[in-house]
Amino acid sequence: MASAFMQPGFGEAPGYSFSQAPTVAASGAREHSFYPYTDNGGSTLGITGQDFAILAGDTRSTSGYNINTRYAPKVFRIGSDDESGAGGHIVLAVCGFAADGEALKERLDAMVKMYRYQHGKPMSVKACAQRLATILYQKRFFPYYVHAILGGLDEEGKGALYSYDPVGSYEREQCRAAGAAASLIMPFLDNQVNFKNQFVPGSGVGHFLEAREPLPLPRKDVEELVRDAFSSAVERHIEVGDGLQMMVITKDGVEEIYHPLKRD
Amino acid sequence: MVGFDFSNHNRNLALHARGVPLPQATSTGTTIVGCIFDGGVVIAADTRATSGPIVADKNCEKLHYIAPQIWCAGAGTAADTEFTTALISSNLELHSLSTGRKPRVITCMTMLKQHLFRYQGHIGAYLVVAGVDPTGVGLFTVHAHGSTDKLPYVTMGSGSLAAMSVFETQWKPELTRDEAVKLCANAIQAGIWNDLGSGSNVDVCVITENNSTLLRNYITPNVREKKQRNYRFPRGTTAVLNEKVIKREDISKYVTVHELKDDSETAVAEKMELDA
Amino acid sequence: MDSLVAQYSRPAFHNEGYSQEEQQELSQTMPGDISLKFALPPVAQPHAWLRAQTDDHANPSCPIKLAHGTTTLAFRFQGGIIVATDSRATAGDWIASQTVKKVIEINNCLLGTMAGGAADCQYWLAYLGMQCRLHELRHKRRITVAAASKILANLVYSYKGYGLSMGTMCAGVTPQEGPALYYIDSDGTRLAGNLFCVGSGQTFAYGVLDAEYKYDLSEEDALELGRRSILAATHRDAYSGGYINLYHVKEDGWVKHGFNDTNPIFWKTKLEKGEFSNVTSELV
Repeated sequence: MASAFMQPGFGEAPGYSFSQAPTVAASGAREHSFYPYTDNGGSTLGITGQDFAILAGDTRSTSGYNINTRYAPKVFRIGSDDESGAGGHIVLAVCGFAADGEALKERLDAMVKMYRYQHGKPMSVKACAQRLATILYQKRFFPYYVHAILGGLDEEGKGALYSYDPVGSYEREQCRAAGAAASLIMPFLDNQVNFKNQFVPGSGVGHFLEAREPLPLPRKDVEELVRDAFSSAVERHIEVGDGLQMMVITKDGVEEIYHPLKRD
Repeated sequence: MVGFDFSNHNRNLALHARGVPLPQATSTGTTIVGCIFDGGVVIAADTRATSGPIVADKNCEKLHYIAPQIWCAGAGTAADTEFTTALISSNLELHSLSTGRKPRVITCMTMLKQHLFRYQGHIGAYLVVAGVDPTGVGLFTVHAHGSTDKLPYVTMGSGSLAAMSVFETQWKPELTRDEAVKLCANAIQAGIWNDLGSGSNVDVCVITENNSTLLRNYITPNVREKKQRNYRFPRGTTAVLNEKVIKREDISKYVTVHELKDDSETAVAEKMELDA
Repeated sequence: MDSLVAQYSRPAFHNEGYSQEEQQELSQTMPGDISLKFALPPVAQPHAWLRAQTDDHANPSCPIKLAHGTTTLAFRFQGGIIVATDSRATAGDWIASQTVKKVIEINNCLLGTMAGGAADCQYWLAYLGMQCRLHELRHKRRITVAAASKILANLVYSYKGYGLSMGTMCAGVTPQEGPALYYIDSDGTRLAGNLFCVGSGQTFAYGVLDAEYKYDLSEEDALELGRRSILAATHRDAYSGGYINLYHVKEDGWVKHGFNDTNPIFWKTKLEKGEFSNVTSELV
């Protein structure tokens, strides 16, 4: 009954299946000539606070062991009037295949602008988030090879962050890392932003020790966490480096900050 | 030589065919170079070791000792370069003892290529062999399949093209020792900056008629910046469900116990390298 | 051969820039018919190609790993319907999220659950919500659960073979049917029933649920049974975990009963009821 969506669940260690048909080595007829994707590496990350959201990404673009460029932005303003970013209040961070990311950004940007011309008011982040999900799902059978993160301020002025899978499943979150170094950065964020696996010292004994409750962090702390997350990722992941681009969204607009990273 | 144990080979082949991924060996996706000068030879290497896209070691040593006047730079599978050079070093020492002569670079190169050829490329060692012997200066590359080259300047590894571009534009005959060291260090840096498989520091080894000098971490252009925040957890942050105290008297039945001077001292044997 | 000829006989630059259709779509703020316009890869067998790119089950090193959902259950009892899920999403062996909302609120008396492809479930259940509202407006009465589930079943059946992956349950209460529960999956299966568990943790959930299930359960006991079944699944299935999402569907709509972390619930269950005695913190 549930065959189509069974994960390799019980009785098998993750990824080591002996009962299934042969996989990588020999797997019948498969289309090999059409391969439209390249992984351009890099990582992105977003964290929200009480009245701001920060989206960040490194600026290296890679293919294989080569560096295409040391400055290819992965974080974009959406729906702004010009290059200065005036009028925009939504930011999109994409990583994975840069060409798909660019196409996705252009498409969303156009949609958000059209919304403003037709309705005479800027699109809310919530609406934009839903729209992005449908844009991604339109290509369910030929996906955009990207992991997108959308940030802005919600109707109450609180920081809002939405993360997506390549075909448009999305969720509002406090923090999210995506891309090549996601597996390095995300556990760090779980611990430092959501205080996972942290308890309040002296609050009890054994099972009655109280878990540390997550609180929205001030902007300075978040900026420091982002910088440390990236400088650490650079140390251990070869596809991350060169520069760190941060977009800070507050009620006053979108501020862009650049920090150099190691270039080796 | 005793040789390798192949008893798991067929089993692993069968597992692989059924889709089990093979374990990933640490490879030194590397830049290594060598260059001769008047009166000697220089070899150099970067210090990054990778496992796929992950940096496995930020400061590994890729310059291997073979004989007092022969050194070897290794790229490819880390374990293979390590053990192949150690094996040849050992055999060369025995050979030198039985002949009563200093070992020659060409002998070392021949032993390496014969060993590697026998294993048809399955030993993934890509080497730059350099040294000075009674016949003069020697500089060779040895590929995993057993082919060799003899050249005045050589590069190998994933950063070989970046490094070679430096040699091709800046190399000239009759370099001085210092010029050769600088040139090799520049070539390695070309790899460090432009090849993702290479990074961190530059190691150099200079071999002359009289002595050989290993300049470990000759250049360190990639020191990590200071972290913005302090990540020290207050004591009691981790929940403890149960405790068991093992007394020194009990544990000393199995191991030797050394008393530490104070709390600040952590490692007794070898101090580990730590980030700031 | 025909496809080869077709491939080379297109006019040059025919798809430069945005097509008429695309321009129209860009100028519309709402996508016209969200169900029909899907881009397909320009190859002979789009679904085979898609599978090669995205099916991490058959090919663990595939380039695009989609988020998958995991343990969900729903059962009918005298007081209505209990719907419970875990909250973990996995992409390959990576835990993509621990906070997924796998119960989708279609409207204030209809719930859908999510197992399989997260995007597929989110998108098509949102689409179903739209169709249900349209049905209400057209017919001036609320849609039955049977009809709603059939819309979904027909829809996924029309995409059969394209690689949709969903295993969903529709739970709701209507005056005509009373409490009704349907199971629909991407194969096109649609079943009415009293009790379903769906996802990789289904067997573990069934184990607890079948043992304790009675139609005459009190509301409190029914909620506890739903919670306990999910807890059992999160304990033994690596692809399930996170939080327990609990809903109760009643005569006048559904009520949410929290989104709670499994870890404290597990220890509470262990310490207060003496269950899970296989887990100890004893040191040898």
